[in-house]
Amino acid sequence: MIRLLGLGNEILADDAFGILVAHEVERLMPGEIEVVCSSAAGFDLLDELLGASHLLIVDTILTGAARPGTIHVFPTNPAHQAHGVGPHFLGLFEVLALGRELQLDVPREVVVIAVEASDCTSIGAAIQPEVRAAIPEAIDAIQQTIAKWRRTERPH
Amino acid sequence: MESSRRITIEPVTRLEGHGRIEIFLNEQGQVDHAYFQVPELRGFEKFAQGRPAEEMPQITSRICGVCPMAHHMASTKALDALYQVTPPPAARKIRELVYSAFFVEDHALHFYFLGGPDFVVGPDVPASERNVLGVIAKVGMETGQRVIGMRRKLRGVVAMAAGKAIHPVFGLPGGVAKPLSQQVVSQFREVADEAVDFACFTLDLFEKVVLGNSGYLDLILSDPFTHRTYYMGLVDENNHVNFYDGAVRVVAPNHHEWARFQASDISDYVAERAEPWTYMKFCYLKDVGWKGFTEGEESGVYAVAPLARLNVAEGMATPLAYNAYLKFHGTLGGRPVHHTLANHWARIVEMVYAAERMKQLANEPEVADPIVRTLPAATPREGIGVVEAPRGTLFHHYRTDERGIITGANLIVATQNNAARIAMSVEKAAKKLISGGNVPDSVLNMVEMAFRAYDPCLGCATHSLPGGMPLAIHVRDRRGEPLLILRRGADGRVSRE
Repeated sequence: MIRLLGLGNEILADDAFGILVAHEVERLMPGEIEVVCSSAAGFDLLDELLGASHLLIVDTILTGAARPGTIHVFPTNPAHQAHGVGPHFLGLFEVLALGRELQLDVPREVVVIAVEASDCTSIGAAIQPEVRAAIPEAIDAIQQTIAKWRRTERPH
Repeated sequence: MESSRRITIEPVTRLEGHGRIEIFLNEQGQVDHAYFQVPELRGFEKFAQGRPAEEMPQITSRICGVCPMAHHMASTKALDALYQVTPPPAARKIRELVYSAFFVEDHALHFYFLGGPDFVVGPDVPASERNVLGVIAKVGMETGQRVIGMRRKLRGVVAMAAGKAIHPVFGLPGGVAKPLSQQVVSQFREVADEAVDFACFTLDLFEKVVLGNSGYLDLILSDPFTHRTYYMGLVDENNHVNFYDGAVRVVAPNHHEWARFQASDISDYVAERAEPWTYMKFCYLKDVGWKGFTEGEESGVYAVAPLARLNVAEGMATPLAYNAYLKFHGTLGGRPVHHTLANHWARIVEMVYAAERMKQLANEPEVADPIVRTLPAATPREGIGVVEAPRGTLFHHYRTDERGIITGANLIVATQNNAARIAMSVEKAAKKLISGGNVPDSVLNMVEMAFRAYDPCLGCATHSLPGGMPLAIHVRDRRGEPLLILRRGADGRVSRE
């Protein structure tokens, strides 16, 4: 099963991106894949990460190295993620690594699509136009990923 | 899919922008001062203004991705105060029951997966093993799965009572949205029994691993992790720890009670201080006064969170937790314990209490009473609510017009209460290792252990791509000019810029 997990917070400016993309996917491709949204962090995401064979994650990122609205795609290598996690922090990948270690039902494939954001801490502020404008590009990346999975991986 | 736009991401995420450490050196290259910059969400008050007060328990729990239940509860209690309404006994018990279940889960996850790398795996083990997978390797797969299973069951009962575990919707001014059915109550009883066993198992594990190793105890008692400050926390009428309600008690470094007051009087006791080198505000005790980042009876710096709660309390309301409390203070030299790393032990003592309290409440017949709401009748004006969040005392303060529309809103969160002491801990750890302008790599881990014990809220660091905690320490001269950035990347390696 393919699941799309939109991460973010609709009331925190650019952080709305993942949620908006998830809604758009539901509108454009109704019933095609499972769509889930969450504004939780770290370990609270565990339930959303289990039970799908293929997982697309849409989130925001602040690298400072690209202009806001730039789309980054990270095909994650599950084996690699088991190493080098920091000692005191549970992010998405640590939770995935932990799930794998404990033989929980973690996805076989994970692709992260993240938009470069500039403001994720102003409560009640609107998403910036250049970040919002990246929604179609994120949808493209999602559709390409799904098409590739369907060609090569045959998920249900 | 290979994207042509794929770029190499430096381990710089939203976490670093906010949860970063700044160390200032003087002309001799010694540490002048240091602090841990916690995230700040802007615009909360403006966002709240003009909204009905009843929306606040939902709004505040949505803002923070880390402890939404604590915000939901503090906000609901602020609404009780705003409408001057007392919830019926069943509603009060349901709230505390749900809150206790939440505490067991939050403390368990922190102990095993966040504090565990230092305290279960060990502070001297290489960084490549000192992580959550190292914890599993040490405690075993079965224990790891037990933690996950316990979490699932606790979340299950919380969701039955509160709507959702992540974004609860049950708190209303004067009570809760629905009573507990007999079936839900019996589920709570079942899970509570299991939670008590699990908490005791965790306490045993801690005692075996940590107390059985004199090196750990020496570390807890060592000078870089010790500060003689004031402590604040909620207590019940017997001065026992309570997470949900009670009086705010403050004890002095010499353990004497300095104040005991109601949350509504917070502004008589606590003030905030701004410093020119950070936007952060530092809370201090008003009547003691701000004497800088210093320790002792003369300095108004205080701490909250598990260690502080065990320091302000004269006991625990449940038997197993009380025994654990006695052993805690007995081993660490009596109350108050000034050793920051003892927070990890205190957290497990509290987990035992939360599980026992859950069991007590689930077995009180009144918890299934159908009357769970007192309808508000008074004209609203101002309300302050307080709870103990897992990370420490949390205040919500609202002002409204006569229709209950928010005109002013302010939160004092745990990490703010702790901000001055966290800065002192970071500074002391840095001072221990930095000398004559020489900044060794090991300062990263020492500093991280110092602030991690407080479990500071990094709520805005929510999803934190691309993984790994990318910790960076910025070293500056006294004019604030950058000298060095020490960075630990997602792969665990340390780099210098």
